[in-house]
Amino acid sequence: MALVTFTQRLEDLKESANADFQKATTQALVEEARVKYLGAKNGLLKEVQKELGKISKEEKPLAGKALNETKQALQKALDEAESQIRSGVTAAGDQPLFDPTLPGTSYTLGHIHPITQTISELSDIMGRLGFSVVGGPEVEDEDHNFNALNIPQEHPARDPLDNFYLSFAQETNKTPMLLRSQTSTVQIRVMEKTKPPIRIVSLGRVYRPDTADATHYPMFHQMEGLYVDEKVTMADLKTVMHLFAKSYLGEGVKVRFRPSFFPFTEPSVETDFYWNGKWVEYGGAGMVDPNVFRAVGYDPEEVTGFAFGLGVERLCMRRHNVTDIRDLYQNDVQFLRQF
Amino acid sequence: MLVSKNWLQEYVSLDMDQADLEERLTMSGLNHEGNNEYESDLAIDLEVTSNRPDCLGHLGVAREIGLLYGLKFRMPKPKLEESSKANVKDEISISIEATDLAPYYSARIIQGVKIGESPDWLKNRLQTVGIASVNNVVDISNYVLMECGQPLHVFDRDSISGNQIIVRRAVEKEKFHAINHKEYELSSEMCVIADANGPIALGGVMGGAESEVTEKTVNLLIEAADFAPLAIRHASRTLNLPSDSSYRFERGVDPKGIDWASRRCCELILEIAGGTLLSGVATAGELVTDREPITLRLNQVERILGISISPEEIEKILLSLELTLSEKDANKLVVVPPTFRRDLTREIDLIEEIARVFGYEKIPVDARVPMAASHKTDQEHIFDKIRLVMQGVQFCEAMSASVVSQKWSDAFSPWTDEGAITTDSPMLRGADHLRRTVVSSLLGSKKFNETLGNHQVDLYELAKIYLPQKSGAPEEPTLLSLASSRDFLAVKGVLELLLSRINSDLTLTVEPSEDDFFAAGRGCRLILEGELWGFLGEVSAKGQKLFGLKQATTVAEIKLDRLLKEAVLIPTQKHLSKFPTIKQDINLVVGESVLWQDLHKTIQASAGNLLEKIEFQEIFRAQEEIKEAKKRVLFSVTLRALEKTLTREEATAVREEICRACEEEFQAKLLS
Repeated sequence: MALVTFTQRLEDLKESANADFQKATTQALVEEARVKYLGAKNGLLKEVQKELGKISKEEKPLAGKALNETKQALQKALDEAESQIRSGVTAAGDQPLFDPTLPGTSYTLGHIHPITQTISELSDIMGRLGFSVVGGPEVEDEDHNFNALNIPQEHPARDPLDNFYLSFAQETNKTPMLLRSQTSTVQIRVMEKTKPPIRIVSLGRVYRPDTADATHYPMFHQMEGLYVDEKVTMADLKTVMHLFAKSYLGEGVKVRFRPSFFPFTEPSVETDFYWNGKWVEYGGAGMVDPNVFRAVGYDPEEVTGFAFGLGVERLCMRRHNVTDIRDLYQNDVQFLRQF
Repeated sequence: MLVSKNWLQEYVSLDMDQADLEERLTMSGLNHEGNNEYESDLAIDLEVTSNRPDCLGHLGVAREIGLLYGLKFRMPKPKLEESSKANVKDEISISIEATDLAPYYSARIIQGVKIGESPDWLKNRLQTVGIASVNNVVDISNYVLMECGQPLHVFDRDSISGNQIIVRRAVEKEKFHAINHKEYELSSEMCVIADANGPIALGGVMGGAESEVTEKTVNLLIEAADFAPLAIRHASRTLNLPSDSSYRFERGVDPKGIDWASRRCCELILEIAGGTLLSGVATAGELVTDREPITLRLNQVERILGISISPEEIEKILLSLELTLSEKDANKLVVVPPTFRRDLTREIDLIEEIARVFGYEKIPVDARVPMAASHKTDQEHIFDKIRLVMQGVQFCEAMSASVVSQKWSDAFSPWTDEGAITTDSPMLRGADHLRRTVVSSLLGSKKFNETLGNHQVDLYELAKIYLPQKSGAPEEPTLLSLASSRDFLAVKGVLELLLSRINSDLTLTVEPSEDDFFAAGRGCRLILEGELWGFLGEVSAKGQKLFGLKQATTVAEIKLDRLLKEAVLIPTQKHLSKFPTIKQDINLVVGESVLWQDLHKTIQASAGNLLEKIEFQEIFRAQEEIKEAKKRVLFSVTLRALEKTLTREEATAVREEICRACEEEFQAKLLS
């Protein structure tokens, strides 16, 4: 092949490549042009390069030089096309406007259940007040669910219709078992194993037969606190409730006790918080009944203690404005993604 | 309980502000729940806790108001005019055969009454407290019930056959025709009032239809009795017959109030319906009216309440509660509670009364509670980590009921073959099986989402399951369960990420699972360091159908106890190399049956200590290889030396060793 033919082909290639690279206003078009001209396997430049062998020995250095120049020119055209795309300026002089109002790249995260979020907040607050979280079994015997909690056989709370008593496929179980109706069972288990002082919150699922409606569900979560030491008084209880309320709701919250009745505390009270212009009931509380202490082997002459309980669902619903408790357990992802 | 304001005023003056009264009642234990207004009366709704049956009548509420405001409380004293000729004991005798169910029974008889409409004042008062008027005699017995809290029953004397009333256990399956004209089948745990022919009332719960007082009734027998709370509750619950009467007997009545109520009832009947009262009262059984004295050590008040109350104040409060002082010195008071306060038996009960009357508002909120350290448990830390990872991989945390239907329970039970524990009554409609896996619940939730048109559904739940044991309490392991619209490898990746965040040194492998709940070849047991950790798989068509799922679903479930044991909660720094890496791509041709898991193990073992990581790239099947049942596995190994720059030659040597080992183990051929 004559050198002229060879250089002519290179010239043609350069011209057509320049035109293509100038027209290439998007990354995809630039890439397309790159492959077309500079592709390592089947690029047009490679095609021409193959012809180099057909050039006579004397003319080869010149042909090689021309080839190199063309290669550099093509590379330059490619670099320019790429940098134009990066800067948004095209050879034609158009400046497509960057639209900063376009939506940002979309990222998503999963969601944590609102009940969990409430529990985390409650246990964080109680943690700062020196209470550690403990757990325990949900399937309980009557000793822990009733007897040790000063709920005698004739107490209405023990009615089979008010509890989920259980049947086992293997009839080897002699003692009646039930799904715990309160998390105080865990407090009993802790006291049985540990000497005072004790400062704990027991957290978890509890079960009571209730027809499910907007405000009732047969399963819910409780947080119960227990503080036992040599000199724990009702003033300590009220102070801790007040500190809790200030952490949970805010400064300026007020707390009051109303007389109530629970078998495992004496005196027993309902705890109300005054917030946003009204009193709202938050949960039951009281001084641990001496019978409970005796049941776990503590001497009520030596220690005193207070206990309190909060219904997690109620707090969660109030906090997030959830009006139907059943929504919490249906797991509609649209619902869950709101929290 | 509803109380009538007009009625209360018979016993205590209510000149105070109504709102103040409601507030004071609430703050002393009778929670005010609302009012209903009538033309000339006000019904006040008060919540009475189960320890205060004395407040289940107007007298008890009036007594509390008198106490709160320091007002005089007027207790009516029934005056009876008895016949001089006939004595009730000649007319009727009573025998109690079941003193454990009915410790005491009394009857009075009034002859020649005129049944008719009640006077307006009586009708109005009953209306205010929500009781419909029947006739003058029935209304009077209801009136007395609502006045003092003692339930009464009035029989038509002439429908009682014979001269004896027998209080006994019901015979098993004995039939009883109640005043509501329904028939009930009784059990021997229930107490009946019987005549010669059989039951005429279900003691303390409901009267019988045959002995009902009607307009034809002339002679009356007025029952005032005490029934055992447990027997009453059993009967009213079993037969679903809750009544004002059973409600009060369940909580216990005032033993001294029984005869008062009987006399009061007779007084009003004579006044309103006329007739002659036979003299005396027929009784059987015994009433315990003596109360044990209670010693209050004065220092215990401050020990429990944390505030100081003077001994004078304490004594004043106890006396105002109608306790009588039997002994007193500088350190203690010995007091006897009135019979209507069955709830007061111990020192601590008195301390509660003192606190309640003194006022809880006087307890301050500035006590110096000592500081104490608290700590998060390992489980809380792990849960936090799991939730963080799950949030990152865009899963939503779900929460579902621990009890499921038999269908869901039977659908999948990867952890045990023991039958599920069941609840004696269903928790939710049709749900009475304690779950042995959380997967079923999540699939139910996924189905619910499909119904709502939510397509990308990735749920996880952290919850316990209940695995029955040979005896005793079930095991309650905590699980992490996942149900996702993503495929097998996508969910496996979530578990691998989670594992790497908790302990990156643990090795996860899989074994095929034959469970037909998983699609064929796409279900696995997850093995963590040689021990069963959980399950992962795509749900089979059969499984999808069981839950009504239309879209493909992958589920996984792992036990957390193992993770808890192995967790590295506080990672420590490892010495990192400052020298560059060399990455080598290796493309091996192996038989179809060669698993990545096995290949990985060989690569790892043969690469030596220069190996930094192995990354799977892809599997490719070229036409000619498919015919020979072979595939290409492309992966890369990254090599790095700790103390020097790695040379090409060293890297090549590792690569060759890997290829050699794979060839030896799997007849793998390096693709050039």
